[in-house]
Amino acid sequence: MASPANLLRLCLRTSRRLSNLRAAAVQQPTLRRQLSTTQWRPAPSQDEAANQEAQDEFDRVFRNPGEFLKTLVRDDSITEEERQLAMRMLDDWKRVPPDMQRQFDRLTEEVDQESARLRRPVQPKRDSFWNSEEADPDLITSEIGEDDFEEDDMMALGHAKLEEHREFREYARIAVWEMPLLSKLAKPFQPPAEDEVLRFRYTTYMGEFHPADRKVVVEFCPKDLPLTEAQQLKLKKLAGPRYNPEKDIIKMSCERFEHQAQNKRYLGDLVDKMIATAKDPTDMFEDIPLDLRHHKFKPQIKFPKEWYLTEQRKKELEAQRQQALLLDEQKRTEGTLVDGVQTIQQALLTMKAVEETVPVLRRRSPRGRR
Amino acid sequence: MSAPNCLRGLVRPSATIPISAPRTAAPRVAPIALVRSAPFSTTAINARRQDPNQQGGGGKGHVRQGKKLKLGKFKKNAVESKGKPPLPGERKAYRKRITLSNDNAIPVPWLKDLDADDLASAKNIARVLALPEEVQDQLRASEAFKPTQCWGMFRKPSLLVRKESVDLMNRMQASVDRKQTLRLVVTGDKVTGKSMMLLQAMAHAFLNNWIVIHVPEGQELTTACTEYAPIPNTEPVQYMQPVYVLKLLQAIKRANEKILAKTYTVSGHPELPQNITPNTPLLALCNAAKEPDSAWPVFQALWNELTAQGANRPPILLSLDGLAHVMRVSDYRSPAFELIHSHDLALVRLFTDALGGAVHFSAGGAVLAATSRNNAPRSPSMELSLAQREAEQTAGKEAAEVPQKDPFFRGYDDRVEAVLRSVQVLRLGGVSKLEARALMEYWAASGMLRATVDEKTVTEKWTLAGSGVLGEMERAALLTMRI
Repeated sequence: MASPANLLRLCLRTSRRLSNLRAAAVQQPTLRRQLSTTQWRPAPSQDEAANQEAQDEFDRVFRNPGEFLKTLVRDDSITEEERQLAMRMLDDWKRVPPDMQRQFDRLTEEVDQESARLRRPVQPKRDSFWNSEEADPDLITSEIGEDDFEEDDMMALGHAKLEEHREFREYARIAVWEMPLLSKLAKPFQPPAEDEVLRFRYTTYMGEFHPADRKVVVEFCPKDLPLTEAQQLKLKKLAGPRYNPEKDIIKMSCERFEHQAQNKRYLGDLVDKMIATAKDPTDMFEDIPLDLRHHKFKPQIKFPKEWYLTEQRKKELEAQRQQALLLDEQKRTEGTLVDGVQTIQQALLTMKAVEETVPVLRRRSPRGRR
Repeated sequence: MSAPNCLRGLVRPSATIPISAPRTAAPRVAPIALVRSAPFSTTAINARRQDPNQQGGGGKGHVRQGKKLKLGKFKKNAVESKGKPPLPGERKAYRKRITLSNDNAIPVPWLKDLDADDLASAKNIARVLALPEEVQDQLRASEAFKPTQCWGMFRKPSLLVRKESVDLMNRMQASVDRKQTLRLVVTGDKVTGKSMMLLQAMAHAFLNNWIVIHVPEGQELTTACTEYAPIPNTEPVQYMQPVYVLKLLQAIKRANEKILAKTYTVSGHPELPQNITPNTPLLALCNAAKEPDSAWPVFQALWNELTAQGANRPPILLSLDGLAHVMRVSDYRSPAFELIHSHDLALVRLFTDALGGAVHFSAGGAVLAATSRNNAPRSPSMELSLAQREAEQTAGKEAAEVPQKDPFFRGYDDRVEAVLRSVQVLRLGGVSKLEARALMEYWAASGMLRATVDEKTVTEKWTLAGSGVLGEMERAALLTMRI
């Protein structure tokens, strides 16, 4: 629990002023960063008196408006008009009954005591491991004390689940009731006109900061530009590896500058410059062949048309098979069909029995056994 | 606890007696004085035992005591001899031997020998014909047969006449009729019968009394496996390969003996070791080369005689297998240790000049080359040129379809392109089903294919072989052990 107080503390944390002691020590001119997570510190004051006064003001705790007004009246730096106003307010304060004044003092003290814990500066622990003991703000419940069941309510996790469910339902309501209304804003698609040659692509991360959201990509086809054939070829040569011969498109991108608009402007200027160079007739790069080494052409393999089994093709195949069978049958009746197995058997039958030389066993003492 | 232990550790090396024993009983000093020991050791000292056999303590080597590690307990002492090992070169000869007949194969009754015009007539397409004995010898002499081809399975070496072979023979015949030279490269996928096409062309040439000069492997010329020497007075320097040329001369002599004996020189060759006068048979000229030293001049003289203009010469077939090897930079080095281009080797140059069209034969002839797909270095120029010629042939010289050079690729060779600028290309693919059937019937009739050769079997093997690639058909039907 204790989340409101924690929240308050976290909110106040960046705006809290650290004491000037350390700031005085680090007196070196540093360049301001544009975005920083480091806490802001006041610059050391120029004159010592003002410095002292600020220190007093910071240290002094007023218990009631009367005390504050008294010091204010004594202050030399305010104008006469302000002093008059302060005097009048002091008189008003003195007219307040003393009982109420004391009550005011007590209240101030109580608030002071209660909030002392919150005002204490949070020291990062030296030996902590990645601040693991810090509460995780991304969980649906705060982890502290959530398992304590006090017999009066659901557990914190249950509440959190309900809250989550409510959130889902809220978005579902939006999707059902409000999103359809967006179609009123829809514009019909207009194909790009003849003079709209460049196609830009931007990236947005829905308002979040992202290093890639500044990137702008432009694509265009050299054929769409009012150029002659030779100039188009020169433009392709100028584009180098940014030219895709398969799609016949030049694609360039830029993320050199901080803002999308700057990048887009740069790309536009670059395209203008390229076109101007392509039109320049002094050197048309005729001696340089168009370099396509960067692009790998993928062979488009398609199922051959002739292979589709259409009805006609089926008939053709059937006829071929019939013919083949007929041929076989004809050969069989003629006796010219060659059968490998039969040929071998006939050859074995007709072959003259060759007298094989029978090895004569000579009587020799058997070797190896003794 | 530690102190006594430490002490014991220090005392141990000299502990012939336990430390606890009374000191008076230990004659400690004596053994230490006698034995020459290491200055510091953790091993206890043992007194040396006197060997009763060794008198006088004469040391005869160190005898180690205790257990011995027996290495190779199960190894027999004597290795049984496995007979005589093969002599040097014997294994290779066995590997490279060419068997042209198989007595166990069944003779095919309908097989007919090739005649002079059989290979050129279209009615012989899809027929298997046998090579006559004489042509066999001639082909063998010029090394047209290869050990990877399946000659050794049949009774008689025979050829399948394909549509492409008839086409090629007709082209050869036509060029001879017009007294021109056919320059053609046979190319195609693996095992589609490119070398066999060369063999058919050679058989046709032999049958028609041509003179055939065949280089069986292009790689033998360029992979630096035969001797080479610069030819004097050549600019730029050319190199001869005397040993190879001598072998080639002898092959030419053996293969074309009859025709060379009937052909006579037109001019004298006094520069040769054996003075050759005009009107000497070319066979005698070939015989003049007895040693590698004189091989190249003799070969050059023979070549000059063969290409002599106005003389009465038979048609000439010049052929080479493995074209890619001669279309690249060879592995030979010049005296400056720079690689020699293959076309600077004189024999290769002779062939490439002829292929490029620089040589004219008086009676016409043919220059054929076959590419190889198994053992071939990449030759981008050759591949591109052949693709271009092929595209030009089929598309009728339409420039759009002809493949173009990649302008950013460096590996092209201008000399190769110059050679292949005007050759014809014959691409071989699979055979038709009719041809496949004829071949399979021949196999079955030889008893090498145990199946009925009907349309079903033929189609099966034909399809298995990637629509009739011949080598694949052999693999699918002939070389399997399925019986």
